[in-house]
Amino acid sequence: MDFDFSDDQEQLRDAVRKWVDKGYDFERRRGTVATGGFNRAAYGELADLGLTGLYVPEVDGGMGMGPVEGMVVMEELGRGIVLEPLAQALIAGAVLAGYGPAALKTEWLPGVASGETLVTLAYQERRARYRLDVCSTSATEAGGAWALSGTKSIVAAGDQADAYIVPAMAGGRLALFLVAHTAGGVSASGYATQDGGRAAEVVFQNAPAQLITTDGLVALEHAVDIGIAAACAEAVGVMDKTLAITVEYLNTRKQFGVAIASFQALRHRVADMKMQLELARSMSYYASLKLNAPANERRTAMARAKVQLGQSMRFVGQQAVQLHGGIGVTDEYIVSHYFKKLTQLEISWGDTLHHLGEVSARMEETAGVFA
Amino acid sequence: MDLAFTPEEQAFRETIRAWVKDNLPADIAHKVHNALRLSRDDMQRWAKILGKKGWLGYGWPQQFGGPGWTAVQKHLFEEECALAGAPRIVPFGPVMVAPVIMAFGNRAQQERFLPGIASGDVWWSQGYSEPGSGSDLASVKTRAERHGDHYLVNGQKTWTTLGQYGEWIFCLVRTSTEGKPQTGISFLLIDMTSPGVSVRPIKLLDGECEVNEVFFDNVKVPAENLIGEENKGWTYAKHLLSHERTNIADVNRAKRELERLKRIAKAEGVWDDQRFRDQIALLEVDVVALEMLVLRVLSAEKSGKNSLDIAGLLKIKGSEIQQRYAELMMLAAGPFAIPFIEEAMEAGWQGDYPGGEVGNAPLASTYFNLRKTTIYGGSNEVQRNIVAQTVLG
Repeated sequence: MDFDFSDDQEQLRDAVRKWVDKGYDFERRRGTVATGGFNRAAYGELADLGLTGLYVPEVDGGMGMGPVEGMVVMEELGRGIVLEPLAQALIAGAVLAGYGPAALKTEWLPGVASGETLVTLAYQERRARYRLDVCSTSATEAGGAWALSGTKSIVAAGDQADAYIVPAMAGGRLALFLVAHTAGGVSASGYATQDGGRAAEVVFQNAPAQLITTDGLVALEHAVDIGIAAACAEAVGVMDKTLAITVEYLNTRKQFGVAIASFQALRHRVADMKMQLELARSMSYYASLKLNAPANERRTAMARAKVQLGQSMRFVGQQAVQLHGGIGVTDEYIVSHYFKKLTQLEISWGDTLHHLGEVSARMEETAGVFA
Repeated sequence: MDLAFTPEEQAFRETIRAWVKDNLPADIAHKVHNALRLSRDDMQRWAKILGKKGWLGYGWPQQFGGPGWTAVQKHLFEEECALAGAPRIVPFGPVMVAPVIMAFGNRAQQERFLPGIASGDVWWSQGYSEPGSGSDLASVKTRAERHGDHYLVNGQKTWTTLGQYGEWIFCLVRTSTEGKPQTGISFLLIDMTSPGVSVRPIKLLDGECEVNEVFFDNVKVPAENLIGEENKGWTYAKHLLSHERTNIADVNRAKRELERLKRIAKAEGVWDDQRFRDQIALLEVDVVALEMLVLRVLSAEKSGKNSLDIAGLLKIKGSEIQQRYAELMMLAAGPFAIPFIEEAMEAGWQGDYPGGEVGNAPLASTYFNLRKTTIYGGSNEVQRNIVAQTVLG
């Protein structure tokens, strides 16, 4: 039992923090929001730091690192509310490496690692809500070649992506496929997301696809769990910075002749925000440390973590806006952007109620042992 | 980073588990698992069993006869005891006053008092709060005036937990009214059989007498019972309170009680009620989060690499969780938590409990009793002040 970061992990954190502080200031971010919510150059800078290859094995051109490194990186990106979806590279790296056939790995993983190829998970459908086993996209095989038809929604940076990881029903069973954007039969219409980022509706019409695995649900659950752990870590970074911004404001802003940080009603709210942040940080650690656990244990842990993170994000975000007063609800001031990021993270990868349902359904007598 | 305990820590846990299984009296564990009334004898029997093994002072360093365990080992010991249904160690002697005597007492005091605490033979009480001093502890008024070789103590302490059993009491007393309130306080050990000491139990909302008022009427206390220096008691008290707050999170008991809540929910037919079950699920998430918070603090202590100033958070969250599980247990029983049958709190009671499930008898009482947790040990509002101070500067 050890919650210390290694020296290497601290160095990784420092490197990412430095890039966020110097290379990704609020003005640059604002420019990206205004021009569509995704900046390929910024994504390339993440790749230059080696981050896109974090979960890609070294033999395939990546860094072959683990969940704690992923967590450290996502926390720091959260602090800067970075728009470019690094979590997608983590998912693509781990899923292709863990479930894909050798030829597919050789073809796609080096590009994922180098950042030249953006591969994103296209899994959400209108009727499935947060369920992973509900899928109407279908795959058919003819002469050893697969083709996919269906529509996936809210695909991260979907119109910018070079390829998609897509769950589809193949012969009554969920399988996972890789589809190149340029394969033909793929159309992606992009739009802005509430946090200033980018997503797309992606339609597949008999689109040529490569099979990743026929054990699709297992792989998809794993992919989503990587997304959950990444979102938890990212949220911790967002909340950490949100609280810091709020504290600075309370100590600066004067009303009735004194800094408003002197009012006990506000001080207690800050204490409650700190509580939610530290509970969230604890459960983010828990999620990342359980990411390599057996599937059932891993799924339970992710659900528990997301319930805590969801509650914490809602509270910290709402209270940060409230404690800022009027300026908190403006677009000009930074805190509203942190609030929107937290809001979007709460309803991504399964919201609080969805995961509470998971915890509830999985809740059996644990004989008092959780860790 | 690693969530798993080391093989050595695992082996240590197994050793403790086996020993507790062999040595915890079944009748006591039965009472704890069912929240039945514990007698003075129950508590002291377990204390003496631990004392004989050298584990009542489980947090003590070896130089004072303790096992010299690490923070993690202490945690594992507490966890195994809690899960097995051991009563909480009455903390006033081994957990509270002993560390103060070790840190600030002289050698004669250490030799005189520590053996009786370690063995569980002497029952200690805490004399901190007064009718006018709750969370504002520095305002204590009980006076100790020096007369030659003794102090003359006059005043009143209150909320003295289990003080009706107390043989000795450690008190914060006022020895000076000059300067800031904190600078005139001394730390005094008082023999409760001394003439002029009287104890009056206070009946609480659950019908039980868990706390007491302790009156001091011209009580002669030998000057040799003063710990450290006169007027330095506040420093010693703060040392003690820092011990109290990590202990107060009580995550291990919460884990045990969460499982009990699930059993009650099943017995009462609300386990399959999604609305009710979701509330248990929320509590389970809370308990896991609290455990992670506790483990982070332990890890920081173990490595010494980083320090975590989140003791106030542990107290707030731990106490809220205790209240919540008690609340949900009562709600699980619903109307069958209403009958107030005090005898049914005794183990082995053979009467007829309305509805037939005698396990429901203590549920409301426990709920009422645990309202104290957000009040004692520095109320949660005071804790929020402390947390806010660390965040806002």
